[in-house]
Amino acid sequence: METEVLVIGAGPAGLAAAFETASRGLDVTIVDESTVKGGQLCQQTQIIRALPSIFQPMRGFELAKLLTNQLEDFSVRYLLKHRLIGLYRDGSVGITNEVDVFPIKFKKLVIATGAAENAIPFPKWTLPGIITIGAAQTLINRDFVIPGKNSVIVGSSDFAMDVALQLLDVGVNVKAIIEAQSDVLARDKEKVKRVKKSGISFYLNSSIVEARGKDEVSEIDIQLPNKRITEKVDLVCVDGGRSPILDAFYQLGCSFGYQGELGGWIPQYNEFFQTDREDVFLAGNAAGVSSQGAVIVTGMIAGVSVCESLRIIDNREAEKIRISLWRELENIESSLYPDVWQARINHIKSFKYPLLKNQFIL
Amino acid sequence: MEKSTIICRCEEITYEEIEEVISHGARTFDDIKRLTRCGMGPCQTKICMHLVNKVIHELTGLPFQDIPLPRLRMPLSPIKLETLATNSTSFYAVKSVLDELELEERR
Repeated sequence: METEVLVIGAGPAGLAAAFETASRGLDVTIVDESTVKGGQLCQQTQIIRALPSIFQPMRGFELAKLLTNQLEDFSVRYLLKHRLIGLYRDGSVGITNEVDVFPIKFKKLVIATGAAENAIPFPKWTLPGIITIGAAQTLINRDFVIPGKNSVIVGSSDFAMDVALQLLDVGVNVKAIIEAQSDVLARDKEKVKRVKKSGISFYLNSSIVEARGKDEVSEIDIQLPNKRITEKVDLVCVDGGRSPILDAFYQLGCSFGYQGELGGWIPQYNEFFQTDREDVFLAGNAAGVSSQGAVIVTGMIAGVSVCESLRIIDNREAEKIRISLWRELENIESSLYPDVWQARINHIKSFKYPLLKNQFIL
Repeated sequence: MEKSTIICRCEEITYEEIEEVISHGARTFDDIKRLTRCGMGPCQTKICMHLVNKVIHELTGLPFQDIPLPRLRMPLSPIKLETLATNSTSFYAVKSVLDELELEERR
């Protein structure tokens, strides 16, 4: 199979990159291991406000639909339930649908593989009933399954606040939000206020000592600043933050840098969202974990840069669009997450000085 | 951290085992993988990598940027051999595997 632009990942970043390229007449193929388009947005029922100026505030799943619908009139081939397995010597990538493996040749590749949630280890954290915060959201909003009756949440990011409210909506008792730091990590103070008003306790400077249970979690010990308490729970939602998914970049020989604020190791890229392999671009959380709105803008920048590199638009035109998109990215990212924005700028500045490179050659 | 805490859930490797190999000089994920099988289960380091790097960081004081990524090989996630072999005459052999072979030859 051959395609001009191959996009790995049909989440917000991948769909945005696909729109910028397909709407300018390029032939685009999108690969995603899931059965649906929209990635994590599909189970996000919270209203997302910080979006590129062309979008109104809307719920995640509505945004997923919009990003998908805007591709309808263009030449886009979807390979859902397909995944990337690696790179072949002739430059094509191997894609599998779990029955066959076949190569796809591309002119430009956009990797938008997103981020994965991190675990938080404590004794018996592998007991059933202890899941990530994202898994809890998927269970309620995608699968319509209530994951437990009495729960605690470990971690206090904005995303944890969203899911805490959604758990309450479906009747799950959220006993507490446990945070190791001395302050709530969520930046959206309005949201934190709503969570506090709902009656959920915040245990700051606190952590889980251990979980107990036969076959599944039944109680946990929590170390508070001044005492140790035990809570009876059948659900523990762990919010350990997210980290970019890197295996595709590694396999393609891209180099990496380290930015803690962006999720740790991330591929090295420049202001075009282009890696040090000139035919490989990237977008979204894979380029550094950020908000949904920021993720969409990075997909747009990558898409415009792909069009430029394939000479669909000239350099001047591309530069003009890119400057305005970078301004959007700054607006969205620096308002709530100035440290993320700063890390991104630092990362791009260090494009020529990667910490990890040539991983297949000694 | 409590010694019995599992770090790699696929291979059931505990904190204690990781601590031990670090005390013997392991400094990267791949060092620990080779000594314990950590990261060699179905998740292929996707769950344990950050946990292990954190343990290395805490026990050795190495900054995170000095703890490299583990080698991420083809196939990127588990796949049936039957599937992998299908239609395999129509394209070249796996690049990363060949690179490693060349590496061996040069040695």
